[in-house]
Amino acid sequence: MEPEQRFLGVLASSPFRIAIVYSIVFAQGAVALLGAVYFAVSEVVDRSTDNLIEAEVQGLREQVLVLSRSDFIELIEQRSQDQDVRGAVYLMVDPQLRPVAGNVPAWPKIAADQGKWIQFKVSVPYGDETREHEMRAQRFPLPGGYRMLVGHDVQERQDVKNLMLRGLIAAVVLTLLLGLGGGIWMGRRILAQAGAISAVAMQIMRGDLSQRLPVRDADDELNTLAREINGMLDKIEQLTLGMRTVLDSAAHDLRTPLNRMQASAEAAMRDLSPTSPERRVLERVTTEVDHMRSTLDALLRIALAETGTVAREPVDLSALVASLVELYAPVSEERGIAFESTVAAGAEVQGSRQLLAQALANLLDNAIKYTPDGGHIRVLLRGTPAGAATGGPEVVVEDDGPGIPADKREIVLGRRVRLDEARKFPGSGLGLSLVAAVTKLHGARLVLDDAAPGLRVSLKF
Amino acid sequence: MHILIVEDDEVARNYLAKALREVGHTIDVAGNGLDGLQLASSMAVDLAIVDRMLPKLDGLALVQSLRATGRKLPVLILSALGDVDDRITGLRAGGDDYLTKPYHMAELLARIDALSRRGDAGAAAANTKLRLADLELDRMTRRVTRNGKKIELTAREFQLLEFMMRHSGQVVTRTMLLEGVWDYHFDPQTNVIDVHISRLRQAIDKDFDKPLLHTVRGAGYSLREDE
Repeated sequence: MEPEQRFLGVLASSPFRIAIVYSIVFAQGAVALLGAVYFAVSEVVDRSTDNLIEAEVQGLREQVLVLSRSDFIELIEQRSQDQDVRGAVYLMVDPQLRPVAGNVPAWPKIAADQGKWIQFKVSVPYGDETREHEMRAQRFPLPGGYRMLVGHDVQERQDVKNLMLRGLIAAVVLTLLLGLGGGIWMGRRILAQAGAISAVAMQIMRGDLSQRLPVRDADDELNTLAREINGMLDKIEQLTLGMRTVLDSAAHDLRTPLNRMQASAEAAMRDLSPTSPERRVLERVTTEVDHMRSTLDALLRIALAETGTVAREPVDLSALVASLVELYAPVSEERGIAFESTVAAGAEVQGSRQLLAQALANLLDNAIKYTPDGGHIRVLLRGTPAGAATGGPEVVVEDDGPGIPADKREIVLGRRVRLDEARKFPGSGLGLSLVAAVTKLHGARLVLDDAAPGLRVSLKF
Repeated sequence: MHILIVEDDEVARNYLAKALREVGHTIDVAGNGLDGLQLASSMAVDLAIVDRMLPKLDGLALVQSLRATGRKLPVLILSALGDVDDRITGLRAGGDDYLTKPYHMAELLARIDALSRRGDAGAAAANTKLRLADLELDRMTRRVTRNGKKIELTAREFQLLEFMMRHSGQVVTRTMLLEGVWDYHFDPQTNVIDVHISRLRQAIDKDFDKPLLHTVRGAGYSLREDE
């Protein structure tokens, strides 16, 4: 697999998608939880500073009633210098808004419509530099047009809130990233396991029934599934082996008496003169034995192809078709049949060379049998089209014999069907059935068509 | 030649033994795999015909054990099984040839003959030039001449002639040709081999007095110098 394809494979894998969904759900959970904490904490912090300011304002309002202006100014100066009350700010200004006392350099610009609470920024020394700090304050008038501002530095509170907000965002991003990473990791893991399983499945489909799915020492679903499939494969292998055993014993039980028959007929013939009537009878017997043998061979090959237990190997289809063309062309030329062939190079399929050869030979045998003297036979092998990922090679055999009527094309592929018109020709009637079984074994498609006139047979791998 | 027949089917065994004795071979028989293995390993047997399914010791196991002990005698396996891959299994087990039942005696005799002369054929294979009477085939230059005259052959005709010359003097059946020259293991419905042989005959015999390629009735063909 190409890296890009593998990556896309991971993205499309179900564990990855599940992980994505879960990480989104978890991220939402994190937002809800941390958000609630954020709002609760800021509420508490805000309330406590506000209460502090309210109390201070209340206290000063009372003090201003009992203290002289100079005492009040002194009080303000004192409170401003008080290191214990960190962050408290005071400012007393005269009617021209000039600072009289306090630790804020200037009266902030306050919009007229602002309510009880105001917020403004003040530069405060911070080591060697200054920093803009957010202040929250209330203001109230003093006698004589003076004004008082009492507040608190809320920068720290703001910092905490910002920190919490950043933490919240980080937590969400981290959850998503972890989910994504975990998803990719799990996806790859499952993909690797699924890949191993499908590789084995391919081998099994190619006929190697001894293969089993890889099982790891774990009890997850894939392993359980693999174990169950392996159990199923055991069963299939058993059944197929059983089928083969039945076929083998059927073959044995039929071949053995045929062999005896052949041997006794041949032995009896040796002592007879070539012209004796007994000898002619015995010759008929051996001819019939031959006939039964080829029928039996064909039936067994069909059955073997159908059990799918035939060994497979890479078959050079181009070489095979070329060699069959070369084997059959002289026979057809002998009968004045024009034999044309176009064989593309480099076509390869997985399968049984012998069965493919037999199937193609059957097609050529048929073509030669049914094509009248002076007719035409065309053999074509098309390779896999360049650049096309799908679509294997195609073998086409065309003749201009009687062909097969459209409504009978399906039935001739069944066992032992010979159309009435064909009875005058020799043959077991199993030729096309074997072609059909071999085609199926190789996962190819067999199409019978009208070559107008004649029959067109196509094997598309 | 001393031939051992290991076959559990008594009828087939007797006919086979009788037919082989008639053509002048010395015959030993065994009805099961164990006896067969004993006879094959202890005696001066030249060739063994072994049925694939045998009681006591399977035919394939017999051949494998025989090969494991280093016995090199030619073995022809007879089989009544399903075919297709069985042949390969049989040859892999150490068999030299494989014949499916029912067979024609002529086919079996031709194969036994070919197996027994495998040594000669091996020697012939080492030679680049094969000769029969005035017919000469050079495997290096792929040149065929008869009486000094060059004969034009197609690649397949050349292969066919080479196979016939390696088995010159023997009977070669159509099935042997299909297996040996084309590597096909089925019987075509049409007389494909006959047509190829007649083309070869045209090429090598037509312009000459003495024909070399003969048809053996009921068996196959033979390339030989006729007396």
